[in-house]
Amino acid sequence: MAGGKQNKLSREEELLLQDFSRNVSTKSSALFYGNAFIVSAIPMWLFWRIHQMDLYQSAVFFVIGTLISTYLVAFAYKNVKFILKHKIALKREDAVARDMMKKLADDKRMTKKEKDERVLWKKNEVADYEATTFSIFYNNALYLVLLIVASFFILKNFNPVFNYSLSVGSAAGLLALFSTSSRA
Amino acid sequence: MASIYTILVALFVVILPVSISGDTCLAPQVTSQSYSTPEAVVSFDTVLIVEFSLTCKNNLKNINLYADVAGRTLPATKTSEPNKYQISITDEPKKLPSGAYEIRFFDEEGFALLRKAQRSGESTGSLKPLFTITLNHPGIWSGPLIQSEFVAAMTAIIVWWMAYTQRGKLLA
Repeated sequence: MAGGKQNKLSREEELLLQDFSRNVSTKSSALFYGNAFIVSAIPMWLFWRIHQMDLYQSAVFFVIGTLISTYLVAFAYKNVKFILKHKIALKREDAVARDMMKKLADDKRMTKKEKDERVLWKKNEVADYEATTFSIFYNNALYLVLLIVASFFILKNFNPVFNYSLSVGSAAGLLALFSTSSRA
Repeated sequence: MASIYTILVALFVVILPVSISGDTCLAPQVTSQSYSTPEAVVSFDTVLIVEFSLTCKNNLKNINLYADVAGRTLPATKTSEPNKYQISITDEPKKLPSGAYEIRFFDEEGFALLRKAQRSGESTGSLKPLFTITLNHPGIWSGPLIQSEFVAAMTAIIVWWMAYTQRGKLLA
């Protein structure tokens, strides 16, 4: 910190940092990767049952496609969550503060600073939770739209292996690309 | 010499109608089976097939038959079984709409008259066919009105649109 006098961050600063950091906790990272894996595995069913690809013969493509797509979708989840988190925190700030103050009003021993800290912590938690779930929902919806449009309409006349590689690749790639835009 | 010639001609004139009438199928009895393409999802063209067996009172076998259906004429194919014939018509589904097709069958003589009428541009409707077979084509099913992938795409787009507007509200 300034002048190197204070090496340790205060709790409030830590919370603020957490609020603005791009890093995600292990728990939400696991949630992201788990969800990204599920949504990336869905095309496998589509190409197996609808586009008549053989599950075992095309296993290599399916595994590679699913892994790349999982990584890109999880990347998109993180980016969208990061963008949303601040906005949600600002939107829910008053409501969360009011709620927490009502809850903590009886506690006379708690200092003002401590109460503020609680509010900040709660706000962070609420925003984090909402941003995480909404990011998953939004990205899944967009991913499926891109995938269906690519595989059924744009690439429908190509052979299934090519169709799979390109539609999964482009859906995941575009999703990751869109997630990096800060506004839209 | 001339008298012998006259007698021969006279004999020929007398015998000829008999021999011709011997080539005409009298009181034809027909049993037929027909097929028409029911759908256009996996087929490009509509096909109409009629298979029939013909029995004549005067026991004629394997005569040549010609079919006239909706302005087109075609020979009936003889199958390996005696007195069993088949005709088939293939065209775009648009040109073979649903409905009852009256297929008129002619023998050689009738067909000659039909060709003559066609050449001179006369109506062929007045010609009397040997027999007719009515084929009922119930029409083709060209698949569901809305493709399932279209439904899937629309559903996905609607869900995404809801997510998108919600995101816009959160970011506003």
